[in-house]
Amino acid sequence: MKYAFYTGCSAKGVAPELYDSTKLVAEKLGMELIELEAATCCGAGAVQEKDEFLSLVINARNLALAEELGLDMLTICNTCTLMLREAKFKLDHDPEVRAAVNEVLKESGLEYKGTIEVTHFLWEVIDAVGLDKIKEMVVRPLKEFKIAPFYGCHIIRPPYLTGYEDPDNPTSIERLIEALGGTPVDHDARLACCGFHSFWSAEDKVTLRLTAMDTQAAKKEKADFMVTPCPLCHTQLDAMQPEAEEKIGVNIGMPVLHLPQLIGLAIGLKPKELGLHKHVISTKAIIEKVA
Amino acid sequence: MEFFYLKVFRYDPTKNAEPYYKTYKLPVEKGMTLLAALFKAKEEQDPSISFRYNCRAAICGSCAVKINGHANLACKVQITHLLEKYNTDTIIVEPAGNIRVLKDLVYDMDWVVDKLKRIKPWFIPKEPPPADGKEYRQDPFDHQKIDYASDCILCNSCMSDCNALKVNKDFLGPMVISKAYRFIADSRDGAKRERLEEVLKDFNLEWCVRCMECTTRCPKEVQPYENIIRTRIIAAEEGFKSPGEIHAEIFENDIYNRGLLNEMLLPMRQEGLLGAAKRAPFGLRMFFKGKVNIADFFGGHKVKRHEEVQKIMDKAREMKDKVKIKIIPDVHTVYEDKRKSKKKEVQS
Repeated sequence: MKYAFYTGCSAKGVAPELYDSTKLVAEKLGMELIELEAATCCGAGAVQEKDEFLSLVINARNLALAEELGLDMLTICNTCTLMLREAKFKLDHDPEVRAAVNEVLKESGLEYKGTIEVTHFLWEVIDAVGLDKIKEMVVRPLKEFKIAPFYGCHIIRPPYLTGYEDPDNPTSIERLIEALGGTPVDHDARLACCGFHSFWSAEDKVTLRLTAMDTQAAKKEKADFMVTPCPLCHTQLDAMQPEAEEKIGVNIGMPVLHLPQLIGLAIGLKPKELGLHKHVISTKAIIEKVA
Repeated sequence: MEFFYLKVFRYDPTKNAEPYYKTYKLPVEKGMTLLAALFKAKEEQDPSISFRYNCRAAICGSCAVKINGHANLACKVQITHLLEKYNTDTIIVEPAGNIRVLKDLVYDMDWVVDKLKRIKPWFIPKEPPPADGKEYRQDPFDHQKIDYASDCILCNSCMSDCNALKVNKDFLGPMVISKAYRFIADSRDGAKRERLEEVLKDFNLEWCVRCMECTTRCPKEVQPYENIIRTRIIAAEEGFKSPGEIHAEIFENDIYNRGLLNEMLLPMRQEGLLGAAKRAPFGLRMFFKGKVNIADFFGGHKVKRHEEVQKIMDKAREMKDKVKIKIIPDVHTVYEDKRKSKKKEVQS
């Protein structure tokens, strides 16, 4: 299990705890991560809605960097996953655009060949590591926790690009939670949107309303915390939760964990190593329970 | 499975103030659609159930409902598939979401029609008809831009599951913006700017959260989400300034200047100094939690081989106008996942 590791911007920016916990957990699970230190931002949908060709060129370069290593590209962000897969989809199905993109890449001695895959940490944990192995590795079962999965949009939709599981009824995070000894909680916002991508255009009109609704949905089902495979969802649901609380005038206080942190806790890593203290919504109750 | 349970949302404001659910036990029949099941329940058990339908062939768009929480046409889905998909013996049918319910599964489409009127969903010719008396023509590349968008049957499935509409009914919604795109992108249409101005009022076009529910729900593969993005691209090309356009510029600049996004300096560039000041409580919170990289305030680090990035971005911008990107290879094509790890597992 060796991967070209695409960190994305968030893990190198506002979510350092995601970067750290991913590295630690991957090592324990036997996943070797070769970081793509020359990779750039995927465009996050922003570049894509202004200059499509430029976004394809940037991501063809990112993909070509993984091709240089001959390794599948492992991402830890839903939006990165989708943007890279979308670019790959277009490059693989439109020979004319691919030729034009490669003409551009030639400037830097690179070529997009279409030889590697784009995958997400969650998918590899389930398919490559396997839940049986995960179960064997659990030293601290999360049995006292009710955990609310929050998939995040770009890992399940649109199905013609994601395709890993049924977007109407995904089960991967629930299965993982169960393998770690925890109890998955069904809640209304399981497959909902965190609001992140309209923040700068509709912070009050849309984004914070969704953030409040999602975290409240988990609270309503008495979840101890939420877990998400996406750092953008995390920033929105955790770091922006105080703004959402202010917006609706209700105290929510729902902690949100990154997926690798969840695994890390169960396989014996310390909350501090996993960066649980770096969350905006206090994870103290979780830390005390696992101690 | 011999039988299944159809749990139907019931509401009649003339009789009860609150909606309730009523469950009907029905035989599982091969090939039976959900619409056929609704008919069977109505004809044999409860004539009072109300639902809309017409063509029974996924053409008219009348029978969109929520099925186990997700919108689709009742006539397009089969009971056996649903029971298998959700691994259940119960199918829950509710009216489409984000809309006022009139009775049971029947909802008020006037609200959507009023939104549609705002974008003038009809062809407004740019020029008089060709002198040879033939119809308005366009080349195949121009046509493929609007081909899929033209397939919309106004069924409301996308509006039902839209996350932005869920929290703000003033959002135009995917169906309406997608319909606007169908004309905005039409090479023969003369009201492009007028329509763009309408969808950009209060930056409504950018309230979309990119949750992709609309594209996932659409029973006709119209791709409303992609059409929203295509509309944004056209708006940027036409020189409209918006928060989304500024945001995209910041991303482009950061990729060009350092490779990764500089999140620390994002608020100031997005909203100016005053706007950034408003974010001070957020910034401080992030700082005390160890989420702020001070170096980023002074530019931060660059990705390796960064000179390559600038070279290709310059070249890409130079070539941009010469490249014709088709909107999609084929609407039925799906991403073919060839993960090595997955393969390995299947082999072992």
